[in-house]
Amino acid sequence: MDIFGDLLMGLSIAITPINLLYLLVGAMVGMVVGVIPGFGPSAGLAILLPVTFGMDPTGAIMMLAAIYYGAMYGGTITSILLNTPGESATVASTFDGYPLAKKGRAGPALVMQAVASFVGGTVGVILITILAPMFAQVSRSFGPPEYFLLAMMGMLTLVVMIGNHWKLGLISALIGFALGTVGVDLESGQGRYTFGSAELIGGIYFIPIAIGLFGLGELFYSFYVGMHRSGSGGIVQYDKEAEFWPSAHDWLSTRMTMVRGSILGFVVGVIPGAGATIASLMAYSTERSMSKTPEKFGTGEMAGLVAPETANNAASSGAMIPLLTLGIPGSASTAVLLAAFMLWGLRPGPLFMEQNPELAWGLIASMYLGNMILLAVSIFAIPLFVQIIKVPYRLLGPVIVVICALGTFSVHASFIETYLMFAAGIVGFFMRLYGFSPAALVLALVLGPLAEEALRQTLTISRGSGMIFLERPASRWIIAVTIMLVIVLPLMSRFGKSAGEAEKAGT
Amino acid sequence: MRIAFLLAVLAGGVFYTYVAFVDLNFLTRTGRLGPGFFPRNVGVLIVLLTIWALVDALRAGRQDQPDAGRWRDVIVLIGLALCFAVALRLFGGFVATVIYLAVTLSVLNRGKFVQNALLSILVPTAVYLLFDRVLNASMPPGLINILPI
Repeated sequence: MDIFGDLLMGLSIAITPINLLYLLVGAMVGMVVGVIPGFGPSAGLAILLPVTFGMDPTGAIMMLAAIYYGAMYGGTITSILLNTPGESATVASTFDGYPLAKKGRAGPALVMQAVASFVGGTVGVILITILAPMFAQVSRSFGPPEYFLLAMMGMLTLVVMIGNHWKLGLISALIGFALGTVGVDLESGQGRYTFGSAELIGGIYFIPIAIGLFGLGELFYSFYVGMHRSGSGGIVQYDKEAEFWPSAHDWLSTRMTMVRGSILGFVVGVIPGAGATIASLMAYSTERSMSKTPEKFGTGEMAGLVAPETANNAASSGAMIPLLTLGIPGSASTAVLLAAFMLWGLRPGPLFMEQNPELAWGLIASMYLGNMILLAVSIFAIPLFVQIIKVPYRLLGPVIVVICALGTFSVHASFIETYLMFAAGIVGFFMRLYGFSPAALVLALVLGPLAEEALRQTLTISRGSGMIFLERPASRWIIAVTIMLVIVLPLMSRFGKSAGEAEKAGT
Repeated sequence: MRIAFLLAVLAGGVFYTYVAFVDLNFLTRTGRLGPGFFPRNVGVLIVLLTIWALVDALRAGRQDQPDAGRWRDVIVLIGLALCFAVALRLFGGFVATVIYLAVTLSVLNRGKFVQNALLSILVPTAVYLLFDRVLNASMPPGLINILPI
């Protein structure tokens, strides 16, 4: 079947009343998750994953994916109106988004960010539609050595992007690998670190750890930094009637910015471990360096808002490619999505799109619709999200604790897992406080068993020789790309951050 | 505190590595890589890197002076969350949530009695309806059943 045929089949699955409802709910929840500062898509996905258990798998995956990319839309609203990014991928949007709002152009900034997000997200989905089948085709030739190297590529990229705290990031990843070894070893049948407990035979369950680290850990940290004390008093007011829509100049001056941001964001998103934050920073710095008036960046330049917005949404789409075609998540959010797939007995990988065409193409088709819904919601429901921003964190905090606890319990009706979630929350708080990386831990917890199995198979095939990694052409390519990314990505990210900081200092 | 946390990580790493070397075989009987291969490598790396990070932290000195005000709020929130975990087992999901929200909001949102009371009833009711009725997911049962839900 050709791509258009597959896509039409996917649309026929996505366009049912119930799936459209799930998509709308996912989009709205994603926006809300994005709007709450300190509460990113990983936390939202982990907490809401148990809520989807009663649903049909296709509808549930569509809803979870909508939460994931919807958070990118919502996160920018606080960047523009409050100068506080809703989540890390929208940090770059504060550089010019907030100055625009301060200049009285909050309305056009909000509309342009919605349009830029839509363009980035849609271009990303178009590229997924074209490229995912090709990626799946290529990855069929991959064996255990390549899978091990890809898992390492994701981990290394994530760790080097942490910057100065790379050692702590690496320790976090190793702790995740260590937790992933708990349970029965599938090759030998021997129990590892179970200490006679029946609860640990199946291993440490991913969901309580993810909910604890991202939900409770982030919440405790937000209280530590005093987010519950700072109100929404600094929120910039905007006029809903006059001066709300962007001018013709805004549209015309940013049309190529959207194209560049989308393509750059998608490419970065495909790289395991790089993600939307890096993509948005890189897009900002690229746009600034290409601009004829770089001195205007940081003072309320529309291109400075549009570039990171298109890039972070395109990156979130791009990150679906390694997830769907290799079964390798590139970020904590896609790791939670992978866990969702696995909960329904689905294992993404090279044959996933061939063996589960309804789900795979239904998901891709739903992303087109989801982006349209999000565009409409982002523009016309802004007052609703402004009201959500105004809800004090001291009221949201206890409610988040309740949802985390009851959500965790509902998965397996297990008090042990609920207590594990609370423990992970406290550990997550200290990790966040002292520069460790909860995201690296969660990613390693998911990738660990895969990496261990692949490494053991590789060394069995090669009779213990590590040279196998250099003998296979595909492995050599992956090693070369990894080395390049480990060198280039931190430099580009630093360039993007320093560009933003320089602009902020200048204002 | 940073050093204490790193020491806790180091202790965990040393224990993990000890078990990997003592209890888990490096090779299986057939000569293939055994269940201890991966944990030994991971454990040794955790110990070495944590020692390195610890040395860095000791060299940097006590830069992180604890801020009592910041810690008080987060310790109260963590303490109340842990009490909620215990209350879930004792009183079940609905009642424990009502008690937890009533106590926590009276601490965090002082003086707003009506708002706190309303939230303490409405949120658990909404969560109960969502989980128990709409999603058919189980709410934690309590050892002491005050309400028949």
